[in-house]
Amino acid sequence: MDDTTPPPPPEEQAPPPPPPATHTGSPTDFLKGVVGKRVIVRLTSGVDYRGVLSCLDGYMNIALEQTEEHVNGIVTNRYGDAFIRGNNVLYISAAEVI
Amino acid sequence: MESTIQEPFDLIRLSLSERVFVKLRGDRELTGILHAYDGHMNLIMSDVEERIMLVEGIDVGPPGQGATVKVATRKMDMLFVRGDGVILVSPPSRT
Repeated sequence: MDDTTPPPPPEEQAPPPPPPATHTGSPTDFLKGVVGKRVIVRLTSGVDYRGVLSCLDGYMNIALEQTEEHVNGIVTNRYGDAFIRGNNVLYISAAEVI
Repeated sequence: MESTIQEPFDLIRLSLSERVFVKLRGDRELTGILHAYDGHMNLIMSDVEERIMLVEGIDVGPPGQGATVKVATRKMDMLFVRGDGVILVSPPSRT
């Protein structure tokens, strides 16, 4: 099995492979790519923070600029700058093309 | 300003001796003057006002009418905040 390549799957049934994503790479590459971009940071509590990602560190502590706090889709607060402690972060989503 | 911030903690360092807003677990918020912090985000603050959001009557009455949010506030002269309760710290706006 190691020295023989398996036969290609039947082409008539298999869907075409998805086009390669524009940005591939490791999670670290993603995070490097979104610094300076608009992001959505969701916390485990479900609260979203939308703003420009200033920087982040290995704990996923985050510094955001022009931050809006969204709870259930409603803006509940605005901060010029905000430090978010990394343990609360559920995900970081790019809100513009990176 | 971006050039002065290389890591998130720089935001906190630049807020020392300033009045900051701190969002804590348990629907609590603090505003006070930041005196010291460490890598856990343990904080020493003075002249602190704490706001505690209390939701009352969430399961009584018709929907959309029962729940009310009550805000309790209290003031403390000097406060140590354990870092694991911190969600967000916002310095005073530098606009």
